[in-house]
Amino acid sequence: MDSHGAASRLIDEPWYLPLADEVQIFEAAYRARLPVLLKGPTGCGKTRFVEHMAWRLYRQGDTARQSLELPLLTVACHEDLTATDLVGRYLLSGDETVWMDGPLTRAVRSGAICYLDEVVEARKDTTVVIHSLTDHRRVLPIEKTGELLDAHPDFLLVISYNPGYQSVLKDLKPSTRQRFVSLAFDYPSIDVEATIIAHESGVDAALAQRLALVGEKVRNLREHGFEEGVSTRLLIYAAQLAAGGIEPRRACDVAIARAVTDDAEVQQAIGAIVDVVLP
Amino acid sequence: MTTAAARGLADRVCFSDFQRFLSLFAQGLAGKFLHVKVIETSAAGSGTKRIIDGESIHLPAEIADFAARDHNLGAYRIAVLHQIGFLVEGTLDFDLAGLLQTHSRPALLRRVFATIEDMRIDAAIRRRYPGARGDLDRVLARALALRPPTSTMRPVPALVEALLQYSLGAAPAALQDSGCSDLLGGLIAKAAVVQREGAHVDASARAALSICEELEKLFRRPTRHFAPAAQQDIAQPTESIESLDDEGFSASDAAALWVEYRGELITVASPKRLTGGQIAAGGQGQDTEAAMKGRVAGSSNNAENVGDSARSVPTMVRTAVSAGPRSFLYDEWNFHQQSYLSAWCRVYEQRLRGDDFGFIGGVRSRHSVLAKEVRRRFLSIKPLSWQRVRRTSDGDELDLDGVIESVIDRRTGHDADAHLYIRRDRARRDVSAAFLVDMSASTDFPLPDPAATKVAPADVPPGQPPDSGLYLYGGQEEYPAARPAPKRRVIDVAKDALALMCEALHTLGDNYAIYGFSGDGRHNVEFHVAKDFADKLNARTWAALAAMQPRRSTRMGAAIRHAVAKLGKEPAGMKVLIIVSDGYPEDHDYGEDRTDREYGIQDTARALQEAQRAGIVDFCITIDPAGQDYLRRMCAASRYLIIDDVTALPRELSKVYRTLTS
Repeated sequence: MDSHGAASRLIDEPWYLPLADEVQIFEAAYRARLPVLLKGPTGCGKTRFVEHMAWRLYRQGDTARQSLELPLLTVACHEDLTATDLVGRYLLSGDETVWMDGPLTRAVRSGAICYLDEVVEARKDTTVVIHSLTDHRRVLPIEKTGELLDAHPDFLLVISYNPGYQSVLKDLKPSTRQRFVSLAFDYPSIDVEATIIAHESGVDAALAQRLALVGEKVRNLREHGFEEGVSTRLLIYAAQLAAGGIEPRRACDVAIARAVTDDAEVQQAIGAIVDVVLP
Repeated sequence: MTTAAARGLADRVCFSDFQRFLSLFAQGLAGKFLHVKVIETSAAGSGTKRIIDGESIHLPAEIADFAARDHNLGAYRIAVLHQIGFLVEGTLDFDLAGLLQTHSRPALLRRVFATIEDMRIDAAIRRRYPGARGDLDRVLARALALRPPTSTMRPVPALVEALLQYSLGAAPAALQDSGCSDLLGGLIAKAAVVQREGAHVDASARAALSICEELEKLFRRPTRHFAPAAQQDIAQPTESIESLDDEGFSASDAAALWVEYRGELITVASPKRLTGGQIAAGGQGQDTEAAMKGRVAGSSNNAENVGDSARSVPTMVRTAVSAGPRSFLYDEWNFHQQSYLSAWCRVYEQRLRGDDFGFIGGVRSRHSVLAKEVRRRFLSIKPLSWQRVRRTSDGDELDLDGVIESVIDRRTGHDADAHLYIRRDRARRDVSAAFLVDMSASTDFPLPDPAATKVAPADVPPGQPPDSGLYLYGGQEEYPAARPAPKRRVIDVAKDALALMCEALHTLGDNYAIYGFSGDGRHNVEFHVAKDFADKLNARTWAALAAMQPRRSTRMGAAIRHAVAKLGKEPAGMKVLIIVSDGYPEDHDYGEDRTDREYGIQDTARALQEAQRAGIVDFCITIDPAGQDYLRRMCAASRYLIIDDVTALPRELSKVYRTLTS
């Protein structure tokens, strides 16, 4: 196995500011080993939340789970991702074939959390392997090796999807959806978003508050070509650029206006909003 | 902000160049769409009226007040911010008319209230938008420089003007020559309260009432106390200010009180706070004023209350936006000028909802034979096979050619390709289709009843069946002649055709949407969604389809552009747009006037070209025998079909779809 950095091993606590009771719900779901579905717009903190929860559950307190090197295995799903990519495949090595576990199988064996990000992007055959892992059976059938792998008692499956830009061809079937506890995320309120921006970027609270207000105003224009508005992640980018010495208006131009749209007039309007909101 | 003649044209900023920008700017800050309109100036010059109604913003046609172009654009931004301020700072929630009704000098109170409210809004802009302070200072300084001197005015107008100049940033010391210096300090102190953070519109009302109370004392004082030497030739020394008519005050100073960037505060919002009952109970005069003051004081003494009401306004706006129809702006092709009108049409997208859950049953019984035929025809094009994808990294069987090549490569010392499998994928139709149905008023046209042509023989009494056999099976009252079926209209046949298409496409597995369009003018193009791509076919879909009804005009270009935008988001390899209409495109402002057919035809043709450029296959079906005249100018001959007999639509529509997508 590859050597992993401190971030993958979750040595330090990934910072996360709870918006509601999602931490308690996730912990309760984990205790009952109920699979979790996270849904929400892009850049609102879903992945950070999973990292934070993995740290809480595997790195905090006196638990045998502390010994697990990789408590969280994240798979960014894409339209060519197949069940084989998740489960594993035979690879050619010299004159023979060697079986290589996929990330899902590794998590099932080791007792880690497997996080399938944007799961609806993956090919439909992935749902087959998800189903048997997310009910009382908690098994992973590995067709190619003939193995029926019982999940480690600590294993948990977490998936995410973004309802904003899914079409009927890429939607979760009820049979899949109804196997998960569902946590809905959205962009936080201005004050909470300002706290997040300040923490993640190091800018002062006043500028963070202003950037959060920019976020709220720009989201009012979401019907003009960017359905999801501007993400918290982009606001943090702008703040990080500002913290790095870039003039805040210029930082917002490159991290917000030009990032969310190619429409020159919308960019200009966002620029004007930034201009009046920033000090 | 009139044009400064001496200024070069290069620095001038025109509304028409920045209309969309200003509209987006306003929407971003207000959290809802606002109509951004140019102020219509009458020939007399004083007839400019801008109603602050929470729905629109009124701006000058151009601004050339400053030497720098950025500063002129900044003045536009300040005008937008100020007028949005009335919306987000709660001015429009206030029942100004109710307040004025209770006062003995409504015109005076209105002016004082408007001045103070403007001051409160500007203070709020300063706090909320620190980046706008530079522009605001510049605009205020310019407005102040244009104000008349107070020294030539009579005391009450002088004090009101001084207050206004204070609101524009004049230093109190500079206003002391207004002839009423003993009162001005107190008035300014009362007014300045509204500049504090958290001050709500109630605070403005309270301050205005209090100031008017002070001015009322002035009305009762002998004139000689106030008339400075310079004023005596204007105001008659014998004239008592008490004799001044309140309306006369309004007429003589209307122009002088005009500050252009602020707009004129004529709210038309419905009364929300002071109910009619409260006004009636209080009656006229001081009692009601006292009651009003008590109410205002009561609400503002509770600091938490003020905060809550101040916060509640943006929340309310946000709720309204999320609950209402979504709107989109589209360009329009101006055939006369051969150029696009930027962001010209606003398309409101909304869901159709209906309760006629028996609609589909009626369709199936009316078209039982045709429904089966269409379904059978569509089933024949449904792919059932599997397709083999070679040379994949994973699959159900080995690709023998690949394996042999791989072995050869390896034996000859080359890198071997690991893509040695054959995967079986189900072949899938990769089609997304949108049906765009004309819901204009003309689709209400009743069709000739086919049964009516089969007139019963003359010797058969009315209501009597011609065939006694039929009579045996159904009672006399059941005979159709006795109970004529309701007249069927063009839209009803279109709905039947679409319902049959829905059933057939459901069988086929294609992804499809059904939209209707109509509207009334470029600001109100209606786009009704009966079924969107993501919707599943269920009872609600049928009811929504049944709810399609004839409405208003046919602004086809904007509707096509919106349908194209929606199709553009679909991931399908083949995208089809089928437009079903019953006449040429028209709207009351679609062209120079309603009779300007060419404008609408050219815009629609342009919209169809845009669809083709976006990779969409378009097709027009028209139920208009005269359609040949304009359809051949709108689209290629292979891209339209004219149906003389509307009842043939269900059959023709399915044929067209099959041909286009097979």
